[in-house]
Amino acid sequence: MNKMQKALRELSEMDELSARTSPIHSLHPAAKFLTTIAYIMVVLSFDKYDLNGLFPMILWPIVLFQVSGTNVRSCFYKLRIVLPLVMAVGLFNPFFDKEIMVRIGGVAISGGVISMITLMLKGVYCLMASFLLMATTKIDNLCAALRKLHIPSMIVSLLLLTYRYVGVMTEELAVMTDAYHLRAPNQKGIHVSAWGSFLGQLLLRSMDKAQEIYSAMLLRGYHEHFHYSENRRFNAHDAIFLAIAVTIFVILRLYNLTEVLGGLVVR
Amino acid sequence: MHMADALLAPAVAATMYVASGTGAGFSINKLRKDDEPQKLPVMAVTSALVFAGQMINYTIPGTGSSGHMCGGMLLSALLGPQAGFLSMIVILAIQCLFFADGGLMALGANVWNMAFYGCFIGYYLIWRPFMRSKIFGDNRNGQRWRIILASIIGCVVTLQMGAFSVVLETSISGITELPFGAFVALMQPIHLAIGLVEGLITSAVLIFVYETRSELLQDVNVSENDKKGSLKSVIVTLGVAALVIGGGLSLFASSNPDGLEWALFGNAEEGYAENMGLDEDNFGIESSVAEKAGAIQETTSFLPDYAFPDSEAAVGTTVSGIVGSAIVAGVAVLICFAGGFFRKKKKAEA
Amino acid sequence: MIEFQNVSFAFENNKEVLRNLSFKIEKGESVGLIGANGAGKSTLMKLIVGLLTGEGKITIDGIEVSRKKLYEIRGKIGFVLQNSDDQMFMPTVLEDMMFAPLNYGLSRGEAEKKVDEVLARLNISEYKDKYNHKISGGEKRMAAIATILAMDPEIILMDEPTSALDPYNRRIVINTIKELNQTKLIASHDLDMILDTCDRVILLSKGEIIADGPVREILSNKELLEANRMELPLSLT
Repeated sequence: MNKMQKALRELSEMDELSARTSPIHSLHPAAKFLTTIAYIMVVLSFDKYDLNGLFPMILWPIVLFQVSGTNVRSCFYKLRIVLPLVMAVGLFNPFFDKEIMVRIGGVAISGGVISMITLMLKGVYCLMASFLLMATTKIDNLCAALRKLHIPSMIVSLLLLTYRYVGVMTEELAVMTDAYHLRAPNQKGIHVSAWGSFLGQLLLRSMDKAQEIYSAMLLRGYHEHFHYSENRRFNAHDAIFLAIAVTIFVILRLYNLTEVLGGLVVR
Repeated sequence: MHMADALLAPAVAATMYVASGTGAGFSINKLRKDDEPQKLPVMAVTSALVFAGQMINYTIPGTGSSGHMCGGMLLSALLGPQAGFLSMIVILAIQCLFFADGGLMALGANVWNMAFYGCFIGYYLIWRPFMRSKIFGDNRNGQRWRIILASIIGCVVTLQMGAFSVVLETSISGITELPFGAFVALMQPIHLAIGLVEGLITSAVLIFVYETRSELLQDVNVSENDKKGSLKSVIVTLGVAALVIGGGLSLFASSNPDGLEWALFGNAEEGYAENMGLDEDNFGIESSVAEKAGAIQETTSFLPDYAFPDSEAAVGTTVSGIVGSAIVAGVAVLICFAGGFFRKKKKAEA
Repeated sequence: MIEFQNVSFAFENNKEVLRNLSFKIEKGESVGLIGANGAGKSTLMKLIVGLLTGEGKITIDGIEVSRKKLYEIRGKIGFVLQNSDDQMFMPTVLEDMMFAPLNYGLSRGEAEKKVDEVLARLNISEYKDKYNHKISGGEKRMAAIATILAMDPEIILMDEPTSALDPYNRRIVINTIKELNQTKLIASHDLDMILDTCDRVILLSKGEIIADGPVREILSNKELLEANRMELPLSLT
């Protein structure tokens, strides 16, 4: 399987996840979108040493995973992109920030280690949040919600159209890549003599394709903009969900839940 | 160069959103004024093409490693800066939403670092001046060299700016303890190498378009007064240039352990880079980081053993913190069990 | 319904594609458009919907095709493109089918009702929520026909509706076409399909009409077909 085929599989996995049904799936996309933004903002706002305070934020995505019945595995598969990057930056912290912050038993832990772990947790939390949004929301519904949130129609329409053709183009390139390697079995990548023509050929064909698509749009009455109309309204349930979520985030941000819970047990 | 959410403070993320949003607003206005409705499907198909095209491995002659294309310069040369910018926004949005490459809050920063420079700076300060100049002569061959040079310089310069912005944003966010200077010294050379390769790939694609349908390129004069010249010589020269640059870089890489990028390209192949192919830079950092970290580790001890001041109080908070965390973890496990229980029940009912 | 009066078309490089065509298609007729590659079939279809503009006069349902009337004319015509991927540009079948009704002023509720109706008529209700990039070639073709029917067209144009389909899906598409009672113009190299679905055939060669008549008459004329790079339909051999 080449890279493009893997990407296609990942894409179709997201489609399948978002096409399922659950209480989370049936929420209004705008409510989910805003909740996700709020969650990420709150997570990012924790101080770099506030590991204790940040930890309980994990409860929210866990609840969503459970209620929506989404498999955690495909989410963690995506971690392979986020974690190395975050770690690359965070790994320096233990070496530059060596002041001891806490001591557990005989082991002293420096501020750098704490801030590194905090950074990694933030990375994982944010990934889970946006993954959950996409795993429970179909792209066309999300686009309608984005329109409602006043994201310009040109961007939303472009997103919708591009999303449609990402699959088509990736598949074409996957086939071309296979065809190339069948005739050049010993090459790892595209040889320099074909650098231009490999993508260039497809690019020329795409220009004709774009023309056809535009014809198809015109023939069905396209006139300046796409019509976005939601299949359902933003109702009380959505508002309550959004309000509860944001309240929980704020409470978790203001009160250190681990300290409070720990304080109840340890006097 | 895709930044993750965790690398940004909320204020920085928001600022970058405003900056990129302004660019997007400007672009939308310009495109509305141009009123070319047929451009929308062209943008969509080209964005989809660039998205997929970023996954192609291009073999770099003389090194055994491979390079990738980024797209900012390519898109603005094909669609113009405004349409190119919006297309890049959409590509980055799809990468972040469906592939976790980048992040929802980091999107503003990523758009700025990868799309703004590539499209606007790359177009207005590099592509257009080159295309309008008469350097290399006023014929097809001169035009080819102008395209090649503009692509390479454009990619290198805009990637340098992007890399510098990444350093700046991360540092201002207070995420890393790495001194600013060291971070810059780490990022810029790596991206110089990546920019060169990206520039060569971009120029190869653009030359192909020029030879076949030059009217697709922005600001390129379509004159038939000059019959098809020595395309072959251009391709050969391009190949030699790639060979020299690739070879030079691998030499540089082996003599300078800090810029280990090229040697690492091969390794990244098997790992996480496999999927998107975009992040060699990041992995490059990581690897260089590992290298540097190792060096530092030899001279300093990881956990210095000086006495912990005010140990009573600190130990107190630690204990309650640990107990509290354990409770939170317990609750998390309970939620998972409860979820599993309900699903089983539902299945049994159904 | 469709009338061509002395219509010619040439590209900018002066390459003449259609030369002085005149013909008339009555309401309810099913007409097959055949001819070798490059004979001008696609160009002729594009002229009808105003994607290309040539010389001469084309009238649709009494309205002359002109820039100002395009929106109105296109509302009467459903054009099934050869490549369904180009035709279906929205992410899901539902969104795609609603595209035209919404553009022609229906509310979302009305549009969705229309979609359900068409899907039920074609027996493909299960496609409704599917993603366009995940359905098979045969399903995509049926869905493309459905997007056209959702417009309630009076005229249906089809460009190679059975190309690249397996025999089973090809049969489904043919049966579907047979049941459509709109005026139809179908361009294809699949002469067996034309024989099954049309009652009249127009044969184009190098931009000119060289035969126009009942389907059995033309499709059984071996010499005529072979002179135009075609073969007798299997069912007539």
